[in-house]
Amino acid sequence: MKDLVCPLAVLPTAGGDKEGGGSESDYVSMAALDLRAELDSLLLQLLGDLEELEGKRAVLNARVEEGWLSLAKARYAMGTKSVGPLQYASHMEPQVCLQASEAQEGLRKFKVVRSGVHAPEEVGPREAALRRRKGPTKTPELQSSEAPRDPLNWFGILVPHSLRQAQASFWDGLQLAADIASLQNRIDWGRSQLRGLQEKLKQLEPGAA
Amino acid sequence: MAQAYSHGGRVAVHAHVQECGSENCACLKGGVGPTGSRTAEAGFQWLLVLSGELCPAAGMAGRGKLIAVIGDEDTVTGFLLGGIGELNKNRHPNFLVVEKDTTINEIEDTFRSLGSVPGSVAEANPSQHDPPLWDEIDSWQFLNRDDIGIILINQYIAEMVRHALDAHQHSIPAVLEIPSKEHPYDAAKDSILRRARGMFTAEDLR
Repeated sequence: MKDLVCPLAVLPTAGGDKEGGGSESDYVSMAALDLRAELDSLLLQLLGDLEELEGKRAVLNARVEEGWLSLAKARYAMGTKSVGPLQYASHMEPQVCLQASEAQEGLRKFKVVRSGVHAPEEVGPREAALRRRKGPTKTPELQSSEAPRDPLNWFGILVPHSLRQAQASFWDGLQLAADIASLQNRIDWGRSQLRGLQEKLKQLEPGAA
Repeated sequence: MAQAYSHGGRVAVHAHVQECGSENCACLKGGVGPTGSRTAEAGFQWLLVLSGELCPAAGMAGRGKLIAVIGDEDTVTGFLLGGIGELNKNRHPNFLVVEKDTTINEIEDTFRSLGSVPGSVAEANPSQHDPPLWDEIDSWQFLNRDDIGIILINQYIAEMVRHALDAHQHSIPAVLEIPSKEHPYDAAKDSILRRARGMFTAEDLR
């Protein structure tokens, strides 16, 4: 009967404040543990991103070097002054664009997209016009104004294979550049997240800091 | 028409377009101002943004951003072969060929004009950088290129303007340092990797 009448005995008394303080420290230590786990996973992700960045950089550098070698071969075949700024078109339209998407706040991803369709080279009519040599060659002018021109056309109609190889190498380089830019952005984002978590941890555990 | 806009309104509209990157943003269609308030003026401004009259960049949002390149002759020629070059009727290219007589100021000016964040200067000091009248808005746009997503720069050129690169903290445009024929890539000099190296202090590793 006394047990049924006195259920208040089980309630915490004034001396129970020490137990409350202990529970608060437990809460803080649990929160710190969670933060540390989050820090660890973020750090591992950052290290993985850095490793991936290093790998992609090495590939980009290799592609660019291949491109330079191909350009040098093209210059050897076509002439020293035949591959350079003197051949740049007076009006250029980009064949390649960049799509930037934002997955989270501050985290961007880049993707290279080819814009426009490359019209196939129409060699037949031009050759006929050259063979006939009658009247003005209107057909090539019309073709050049319709579609964005391939930059290869700046260097002539028949370009050496090495120049096409150079174009392919630098095109691969652009793809890698977009991936590297995305990785760099992710690393910067991860850095800022890491700093934020470290600050929170210092606030929770001032003694450890 | 230009007088109908407040200075702050025009700057805010431009900044919002750059943030969302799309003229189909729901904020624009709803006629909601940058602070979330519906006003007749805000609605009118958003309508002009949609039509591309106020901000030509909104019209370019659908086609994506450009890749710019600052480098030596071979580097620029190669990437232009890849198809990134733009030279429009106003003669504003997205590339710079650095030669022996190219000054550091030219490189820095080109980098800053390619890498500026739109509206940042105007937002910081609106009284000093009052947007021009309607007729001059095209030149104002080209001073702050908002259509560049990535800037490729040879590392030896980046060393010349390292202070400008280190001051660039925004995510877009992203700056990539690439090697040149005479100067191979050195990871120790890369701005991004130097920042990453400074992530940890001795206390953090204890």
